[in-house]
Amino acid sequence: MHDIKRDEIMDLYKNPHNKGSMNKPTISVSKKNPMCGDEVNLQLKIDNGIITDAKFDGNACSVSIISSSVLTDYIIGKSINEVKKIKKNDLLKLIDMNLSTSRISCASVVFSALQNALEDL
Amino acid sequence: MKDVRKDFPILNRTVNGSPLIYLDNAATSQKPKEVVDKIVEYYYKYNSNVHRGIHTLSEESTEMYEGARKLISDFIGADNPREILFTKGTTESLNRIAERWVPANLKRGDVILLSDLEHHSNIIPWQKAAERIGAEINYINTDDNGEITIEEVKKMISDKVKLISISHASNVLGTIVPIKEICKLAHDKGIYVCVDGAQAAPHLKINVQSLGCDFYAFSSHKMLGPMGVGVLWAKEKILKELEPYEYGGGMIDEVSFKNAAWAEIPIRFEAGTPNVSGAVGLGAAVTYLSNIGMDNIRNHEIELSKYLLEGLKEIKGINIIGPREADKRTGLISFYFLNIHSHDIASVLNTLGIAVRSGYHCAMPLHNKLNIPSTVRVSYYIYNTKEELNTLLNGIKKAVDFLS
Repeated sequence: MHDIKRDEIMDLYKNPHNKGSMNKPTISVSKKNPMCGDEVNLQLKIDNGIITDAKFDGNACSVSIISSSVLTDYIIGKSINEVKKIKKNDLLKLIDMNLSTSRISCASVVFSALQNALEDL
Repeated sequence: MKDVRKDFPILNRTVNGSPLIYLDNAATSQKPKEVVDKIVEYYYKYNSNVHRGIHTLSEESTEMYEGARKLISDFIGADNPREILFTKGTTESLNRIAERWVPANLKRGDVILLSDLEHHSNIIPWQKAAERIGAEINYINTDDNGEITIEEVKKMISDKVKLISISHASNVLGTIVPIKEICKLAHDKGIYVCVDGAQAAPHLKINVQSLGCDFYAFSSHKMLGPMGVGVLWAKEKILKELEPYEYGGGMIDEVSFKNAAWAEIPIRFEAGTPNVSGAVGLGAAVTYLSNIGMDNIRNHEIELSKYLLEGLKEIKGINIIGPREADKRTGLISFYFLNIHSHDIASVLNTLGIAVRSGYHCAMPLHNKLNIPSTVRVSYYIYNTKEELNTLLNGIKKAVDFLS
């Protein structure tokens, strides 16, 4: 947890980006963390193959909130093809929190939701 | 109670630079040296298959295995050791009854009564068994204090109820359930009672005969014994009529190319090579517990519960669930904060060397019913101290300051 003490990360936890929901998303996916049952809902707005907006919501822990905030920031403005290439490890590197195995599952919930959302696109 | 901490080598280790404070005993307890030594001794001196050979090692190994059965039989006040079946834990014990006893004794339209505080392992086996035979499942509700009252049980009993399967103690609320009264009520109506004792056997003095239940299931690893072994106790009369759970070596009387006849109980329920070292380890664990005295263990836990309940109440924004009275609980307290996730509290505590559980504790229906988020669960045992609880309380305050 020392890592999340870093101001920047704690600020994201307390003031996450893209938290909430949008009107008429192109796609909306909810995903549960199998370890604890926590749920993250991810909404995407897609125009001409570009993700123009992304929002997340749900009852989640700090790691899940930070991960969702970072991932949504990262994908906004990118094309579906670019986003499909993102690997889970890329996200873990982006959030850079030195997570234990159990907390990696917290960070991954939003990533699984994104994968589900992109499956049929 | 005598100082037992020196008997637990793991308590000497540090976690993240601080002495380990282990408060996740409802998940699994630590093991005293006596138990680990016994298992080592078994493998170094006696290891051999049981009930098979006529050589010395096989006889000694069989004696140790059956000796453990006797120790456990005495520990829970069974009529005789034939009523003790070794399983791999409470989950398997409950599955055995659901898989074998239910289809032979229940029919379409019958009701299995559970309660809303059950662990998933005392829900799912019954759901599946009921599904197969067309039986129904109903739930007894806990009251506002997290208790199961006899009035509520009475309300749920009908002519259709054939089995009540209920925890002796809740792994989330800590509530001790009035099993004796439930059994009396049930037996007056010809209803069988199965008890999930996973959270009770480590803490309460169990006497299956005075409780009056028909089945009692518990796990070794929560009561100082090794993992991978547990017990299903059932009345001899029931076991004699019960179909074996698995078929194979060791459980037969006679086998031909066409069919087989079963060995006597309990051997007929233990096909294949059993977990002998596990049973021997559990035997050592119940001996250790008996030497300390279950009454002393209970008093120690009530004292810790009182102390912790008082301390937790001081923390701003905390919501404690389960009975308000320490003597209505086993050794655990769960709580939550509305705006701080339980995993985050547990993570901060972990940086201080404190091990607690966070999440739903395999009781998702209960959390959903109470409409509460996941909880932090602090569960203590014979080796925990008030000093450790002080460190915990300071840790929780620190976590709350940091996270809110």
